[in-house]
Amino acid sequence: MDLAFLPALPPAVSQLMLFGVLLLCGLAAGEAMRRYAGLPRITGYVLAGVLLGPQVTGLLDSDALFEARLIVDLAIGLVVFELGSRLDFGWLRRNQWLFAAALAEALFCFLGIYVSLVFFGFAPLFAATAAAIGTASSPAVVLLVQQELRSEGQVTERMILCSAVNTVFAYLVLALLLPFLYIEEKVGLGTAVLHPMYVFVGAAVLGFLASRLALLAARWIGKDEDRQFVLVVGLIVATIGLAHSLRLSVVVALVTFGMLSRNFDSAHVLLPVRLGHGAQIFFVILFLLAGASLEFHAFEIAAAAVVATYVIVRFLGKAAGLLVFSRASGIAPAKAGLLAVALLPMSGLAVVMVRDTVTLYPSFGRELAAVVLSAVVVLELIGPIATQFALRRAGEARPES
Amino acid sequence: MSADQEEHFKPSAALSLGVELELQLVKPHDLDLARGAADLLARLDRRKLPGAVKPEITESMIELNSSVHSSCESLLEELNVLRKAVVDDAGVLNLRVSGGGSHPFHDWADRRIFPNERFINVVQRYGYLAKQFTVFGQHIHIGCPSADDAVYLVHMLTRYVPHFIALSAASPFYQGEDTSYQSSRLTAVSAFPLAGHMPFVADWAEFLEYYVKMKRFGIVASMKDFYWDIRPKPEYGTIEIRVCDTPLTVRRAALLAAYAQALAAYYLADRPRKPERSIYLVNSFNRFEAARFGFAGELIDPWSGEKRRIGEDILAEMARIEPHATRAGGDELVAELAGVVRGGVSDADWLRARHRERGALADVVRDACEKWRTHN
Repeated sequence: MDLAFLPALPPAVSQLMLFGVLLLCGLAAGEAMRRYAGLPRITGYVLAGVLLGPQVTGLLDSDALFEARLIVDLAIGLVVFELGSRLDFGWLRRNQWLFAAALAEALFCFLGIYVSLVFFGFAPLFAATAAAIGTASSPAVVLLVQQELRSEGQVTERMILCSAVNTVFAYLVLALLLPFLYIEEKVGLGTAVLHPMYVFVGAAVLGFLASRLALLAARWIGKDEDRQFVLVVGLIVATIGLAHSLRLSVVVALVTFGMLSRNFDSAHVLLPVRLGHGAQIFFVILFLLAGASLEFHAFEIAAAAVVATYVIVRFLGKAAGLLVFSRASGIAPAKAGLLAVALLPMSGLAVVMVRDTVTLYPSFGRELAAVVLSAVVVLELIGPIATQFALRRAGEARPES
Repeated sequence: MSADQEEHFKPSAALSLGVELELQLVKPHDLDLARGAADLLARLDRRKLPGAVKPEITESMIELNSSVHSSCESLLEELNVLRKAVVDDAGVLNLRVSGGGSHPFHDWADRRIFPNERFINVVQRYGYLAKQFTVFGQHIHIGCPSADDAVYLVHMLTRYVPHFIALSAASPFYQGEDTSYQSSRLTAVSAFPLAGHMPFVADWAEFLEYYVKMKRFGIVASMKDFYWDIRPKPEYGTIEIRVCDTPLTVRRAALLAAYAQALAAYYLADRPRKPERSIYLVNSFNRFEAARFGFAGELIDPWSGEKRRIGEDILAEMARIEPHATRAGGDELVAELAGVVRGGVSDADWLRARHRERGALADVVRDACEKWRTHN
């Protein structure tokens, strides 16, 4: 009997299969985490990633991680679009103390990390870069924990607003620092100025164009929720793809897109978009891959004291900024404290940012990279738990969730 | 509230008045109901305000309480002070405030109960009805010099329940659908077992007999458990009209109060009729017509048995009581309300028109918030 119709064993692992298996692993780990440990599902996704990743079982090797980068970009693009669309200029105009609080939160956090890294003997320019990377709160963690808990209220709203502000702040500071990093690498002044300009300003222009297109098309389509959903998702995906192939910053492009389409929609032609269950699929993959990319061996290089200082000062800076303006911006100091805890998650994006920085500017140094990467490991694990704790403690989580 | 206090009617100045307005708190980014009452109330607590702002059953509602007034003009002035304070403080917390009897598309299952003992008890007893009760009404208090006057006025004003429903109707949308009603809110109230109207009692003594019996049966614990269209409120010395949707503006709320005051002035002064059971025979028919069709609905007069359009009946009655409106000082406001009836556009019609023009319920909510914010 000829059995040639049977495939060779074991069957080849296709991309599609990998994607599906990752989803199911993430699902199982997330659910187990929530049921048996009472922790956020995200922590489960991250741990599943750690287990599957190169550090432990190696089922997900670095090739697989590289190939998955497009999925990661897609997930991040969706998140930061939502984040941008929640940055409500009107609120900041009506409550300028809140704007002050959000700026102070980012600024104190940045300065705190910068000063302590300089104190530990790192070069000021690199210390500033590492500080800027650490200023951003993870938009993905913040939004996903909020969705999971269905939390609502002042701490929740301000958490989303502040992470939008500190993400924008972090990218602005990085854009300003990059030319100096280039000069450090003895690259011509032209490239030093033009490349960062291209990456950031180009991305902002792309985001602006996408937002104009979204508003024009939404006006033409009319107020049909299903059609508008397709429109917005289509534009988000296309913008991510374009930013990717033009080598522009995906985050800056999408945050700009979200921010402008929301705030410049004076005729209110765009309906509120709820990405909902579809987006969940990408989030599971995002955190799983973030877990797989965590670099535990960074701990071997980084001094524990520096990492601990980085994490603690980062939190204290955020807390100080928020507490100073808590009453003026309209919340009690206790809630401002919870807000600072909620903003603890550090973006997994930092891993990408650090790797890119080290590739482009080798003098950034292994050691400082290891400090940031170690901080990411710590905060990727405790961040979601902190956010969940803060939202529950503030009484803003839905009681049964 | 002790039982004794409730059984003792504390007389108050005839025709004094006050209103309560339940308001919606809305999130600007998706225009759904917000969870913000506690934070907003904490902020408002630090202001010196006339009247009061209080929590309501879910965290998406607050209630404005006016103080006691003798004139509708001063009532309107005070409501505007409260309105501005609430809108300003809500702005700081990125909340919007809106009138209207229902939120057009919120999902009742998402509502959270304001954590105080009374509300938690209501939820334990009534289950999902309590969350579905996230509807927004205006209550009008009219002062009565004696308990028997209060009983008399409740009977007499019951004939006008359809008027107040049609004049205030502002809940055409519910759970994301056009209900085809002018006021869909009333249906949410009717689901409660103790909804309805006061029994046909001759005077306060007979009312107390009924009330004490209901308490002994353990059916009610206090007067608050009766969700009647109009009920006596002995501790304030008032009767309370509870059928109105919260209008889209404070001005309309004051106009409704002026009309109630003028009607009370007419009945207490002239005592033109005696209470009859026929008032309650036609009541549910009239009430339904008003909630469903508004001014265009039909009303049966309990005394003559004649049927006419509710809009026409309102204008006829307003003309009849005009001298009393003048005496109570509310004639201009009642005349303005008559203009609304002639114009034929209720708040519900306005909301529907916004929906037709804008195409989405979220836009209707945004426009209603804007109307509340800008109209004196």
